[in-house]
Amino acid sequence: MFRETVSLSGSYVAVDTLSVEARLVERAKAQDEAAFEQIMNLYADRLYSYILRMVGNATDAEDLVQETFLRAYQGLPNFDGRASLGTWLYRIATNLCIDHQRRRARRVPTVSYSAHDDEDGEATEWDFPDLQTPNPLDAALNRELEAVVEEAIGKLSPKLKTVLVLYDVEELSYEEIARVLGIPIGTVKSRLNHARTQIQKAVAAYLSDAPVPTRAPSVK
Amino acid sequence: MNCKRFEQQIWAYLEGQLPSAQAQAFEAHLQACPRCQRQIAAAQATYRALRALPRHRAPENLVAQVRHRMAQPSARPRVDWARVWRRVALAPALGLLTVAVWWGWQAQQPNTPINTAAEDPTESLVELHEQLEVADWAPSPTPSYFISTGYTR
Repeated sequence: MFRETVSLSGSYVAVDTLSVEARLVERAKAQDEAAFEQIMNLYADRLYSYILRMVGNATDAEDLVQETFLRAYQGLPNFDGRASLGTWLYRIATNLCIDHQRRRARRVPTVSYSAHDDEDGEATEWDFPDLQTPNPLDAALNRELEAVVEEAIGKLSPKLKTVLVLYDVEELSYEEIARVLGIPIGTVKSRLNHARTQIQKAVAAYLSDAPVPTRAPSVK
Repeated sequence: MNCKRFEQQIWAYLEGQLPSAQAQAFEAHLQACPRCQRQIAAAQATYRALRALPRHRAPENLVAQVRHRMAQPSARPRVDWARVWRRVALAPALGLLTVAVWWGWQAQQPNTPINTAAEDPTESLVELHEQLEVADWAPSPTPSYFISTGYTR
């Protein structure tokens, strides 16, 4: 699997990237603000994308990314390097997202799906688009499908959503997610399966209503 | 393989993580089960859609805004003194605990003098061994053996 070789910085030259990050952290710890700015530039897009999917609101996401970086800056003297910089930043961001969702939940009641919702076990009759062969109609369907998936992600419980977004979108490994969340790898896999299954149900419902039947499935 | 087992393995199969024997059983079931063919089509669409989700770019001025906030005195890096003290206090606490456990263990030993640190511990072992040899040759345990080893009935 390529995933094991990819660092949180998304680079295939993981070792070099980590050593660069380690040097940046050392400089930032020594009050070098330019080094910390480089760290922010490295992680701003990834943290923003992650947090936006977690909270579903651009303004809140921007505030939370700022808060993540500020907390990281203030906490640098206590960062001992046992976790990678990326793991540490995602952990801060995740905690802030969870706090944010708790505050929001107290203000506005939200619907949360448990891991075992909608276990009807019955399949519906539908056809599905072949996503491997792009054509204008498929492209339109894919955009619709993307919206369906984004909406379904938004309805996941925070625990499931965190794991799903970190793995499937941010492409962290099981091990990295386990370190970010402080949970066993088995729990990461279990939550990921539950989360994907819930998204799959939304996708199945969408496909059953999709207007254009296409070819039979290509399994792989 | 039944449908329930199929569903449990569907994501591992799509990610190529199933061992070949299990993958073959999975595919055999897939060929024979229309319901699971629909399941895997939805799972496959989900998997691809998740992997194709766009990544959002942070607003242009985000880093500049953080830099501005960093300049505030309240945002300066600060040492978590509580955490530092916890660590500083931990070492002597562990040392004291070790001494206490050792002392407690020593106190439970029957009649052995504690103040033997200056002596070579192997010497006392040799002495004990010699006494045991004497005891082996003796027709019955001698009183000195019982006394010197601290043995009591």
